[in-house]
Amino acid sequence: MAEEVKKTPRPVDPNSAKYKLGKIASDAYVDAIEAKKQGKPVVWISSNFPVEIPETLGLATVYPENQAAGIAARGAGQRMCEVAEADGYSNDICAYARISLAYAKLRECPEQEVAMPDALLCCNNICNCMIKWYENLALDLNIPLIMLDIPFNPDYDPTPEIVEYVGAQFWDAVHQLEDIFNIKWDDEKFKEVTGFSCTASRAWLDATSEACHIPSPFNGFDLLNHMAVMVTARGKAEAGEAMNVLLKEYKENHATGKSTFREEEKYRIMFEGIACWPYLRVTSRGLRDRGINMVTTIYADAFGFDYNSFDEMIAAYCSVPNSINLEKSRDKRIKLCKANHVEGLLIHNNRSCKLWSGFMAEMGRQVGAECGIPVAHFDGDQADPRNFSEAQYNTRVEGLMEIMEANK
Amino acid sequence: MVNEIFAKFHEVATSPRAQMDKYIAEGKKVVLTAPVYTPGEIIHSMGFVPMGAWGGDVQLDKAKEYCPAFLCSIAQSILELGMDGVYDGASALVIPSLCDTLKTLGQNWKYAVKGIPFIPMTYPQNRKPDYGVKFTRAGYERVIKDLEAIGGVFDNAALAESCKIYNKHNEVMRKVDEVIAKHPEVTAVQRSDVFKSAFFMSAEEHTALVEELIAELEKTPAGEADMGIVVSGILTDAPQLNEIFDEMGMHIVADDVAAQSRQYRTDVPCGDDALQAMAEKFKAMDNCSVLYDVEKKRVQLIADTAKARGAKGVVVVMTKFCDPEEFDYPIIKRVCEAAGIPVALVEVDRQMVQFEQIRTNLETFRDMLSM
Ligand code: SF4
Ligand code: SF4
Repeated sequence: MAEEVKKTPRPVDPNSAKYKLGKIASDAYVDAIEAKKQGKPVVWISSNFPVEIPETLGLATVYPENQAAGIAARGAGQRMCEVAEADGYSNDICAYARISLAYAKLRECPEQEVAMPDALLCCNNICNCMIKWYENLALDLNIPLIMLDIPFNPDYDPTPEIVEYVGAQFWDAVHQLEDIFNIKWDDEKFKEVTGFSCTASRAWLDATSEACHIPSPFNGFDLLNHMAVMVTARGKAEAGEAMNVLLKEYKENHATGKSTFREEEKYRIMFEGIACWPYLRVTSRGLRDRGINMVTTIYADAFGFDYNSFDEMIAAYCSVPNSINLEKSRDKRIKLCKANHVEGLLIHNNRSCKLWSGFMAEMGRQVGAECGIPVAHFDGDQADPRNFSEAQYNTRVEGLMEIMEANK
Repeated sequence: MVNEIFAKFHEVATSPRAQMDKYIAEGKKVVLTAPVYTPGEIIHSMGFVPMGAWGGDVQLDKAKEYCPAFLCSIAQSILELGMDGVYDGASALVIPSLCDTLKTLGQNWKYAVKGIPFIPMTYPQNRKPDYGVKFTRAGYERVIKDLEAIGGVFDNAALAESCKIYNKHNEVMRKVDEVIAKHPEVTAVQRSDVFKSAFFMSAEEHTALVEELIAELEKTPAGEADMGIVVSGILTDAPQLNEIFDEMGMHIVADDVAAQSRQYRTDVPCGDDALQAMAEKFKAMDNCSVLYDVEKKRVQLIADTAKARGAKGVVVVMTKFCDPEEFDYPIIKRVCEAAGIPVALVEVDRQMVQFEQIRTNLETFRDMLSM
């Protein structure tokens, strides 16, 4: 029998953006666990809840969506989903929610442990599924739930009425948290946090837009990992610093003709939807082996929380990808496709996410027509491995590639 | 006599298109209203006939160009019917933003169905605080503006009048639910027709017909169902499903169905400012899977209603892919069973032709309840 050769992973340079970003993301979990040990309050929070609130109040945060993605990427998505299903949850429900509800029950999952919460901060600007998920968490854990409702906007821009409604809720949420944890809001701290958030957002937008170069200085799959920092830590000083390192690296890569995309970049696509975490490698390799670089995703735009006033901040939270109408969603994609010289659009029909997938067919057609690029869809799920077929994925990618080739 | 009234309900419930043609022939304009809640009072007050558009039992074909398979069949079939021209002649479709699927329905509708404008109704989920009430009002004002664009005229006094008409309708619907509970001879199919027809008749006409029914039913002595059940879900109008309830000897003594009693639980409060009163009504609404409720009062209401009406069990009729309801189900099961009320789950969709699985489930449930 051949002896197994264990590959030692390439050491990561501690001054690199990859190292710094990875550390920020993993520290967030460790910090919350530490806070819990010290008896400090911990909250579970939705990915697009105004992070300015817990950061200003000094609350340790855990992002269940991020945790679920980690669990799924490490292969435990199905196991956790099945725990929820055994309790009567339908397997049609978003897999992040199923994983999170399972964790709330078991209170352990070696693939990604988190600190248990003292309160829940829910924001439905990405989906109403979030409301139901957090209602059930609040019930199961018997802890307070603060719900910040950001309605889906059928109009192109946030109306003054939406901004006023959400702004009022922002302060209501602050006051509720002050009461629950006997803490005080500090305007100076708030100012500082908003500064961090804007810095991180600007650096993120700048870094992701380095993809405009041909070839792109990075492999777009990098963004799926780095994005975790934008989700969980954009209100912290370190996030902005690390994002600026990332920007610098991408600029250097461009200047020196290097890229984190290690193949010859033959085609450039936009990837639409959440990653298939259980099949990250398969989906990434399926592109890379064909010389297809995913140069952009809507995440490049999604964390653009760069604002100059309170109302602008609220408006930014009202304009996250799943809260805007088809026309605005489409135009954002068109802008990314054009700016980054995209030659094809690959859409993940994500079974977990009704809102994200619900008008994707029409939007894809409109983006394709406006940009003159082919569009391919594949079926999958961001965290439940049972809803993905590698063969279908490869066929669809192959089909997309053939049209891109014919268009050359 | 009572049979004639039921026949009338049945006729209306099974021929919405004929109803729509009738109203259009009378020179009226019809505005379609999608699930789950829409401001019928406002639409009515502006001179339109609101008609419920909760889809139909059709195979999906054209809608597939727009919808992934994992959206509920109610939303998908609304789109299918729209694309098929079944709603042609309607002046608009109002869709509320109450679940993720409904948010996408409006967006698809704009491109899939030309000629019937989409009017969004954006409800707040934090509907109780003052800022929520204000936002509900802003949502209604937006609907009014869109209805004005298609020829409607808004008038506060007219709205106050419509609110009274709708409150009266609510009252008779609550009453008929109580009366039917005590008349086990009324079948599930008949009960379904009474509720479903409400979507296709003007509130005034429906109120009058329901009042007739109540008067007739009350002429005969009340009885007790051998096997009373509470039915919960979004939509339970499939004839085959109701026939199975009847076959099993299950009598619906109360419902927590979105297309039935949930519509009629809350009245518009009195007040000089009728639009404000409408916003106050939404503030007061509760007990529904698409209305934010951290206490899950809805679940307790199901258990309490089952007890109060002497039901032997609760049947949850799950519309496949309806995640708001799917999230509530484990809690309904837990709370009801803890209260000693057995729960059965059956899954339906609007393309269903085979009801054998449901029959088997309900047979088992019946046997359990009879023990
Ligand atoms: S995947 Fe979709 S449904 Fe699930 S939490 Fe995210 S936005 Fe909501
Ligand atoms: S059945 Fe459920 S998912 Fe479908 S539209 Fe109604 S509430 Fe939404």
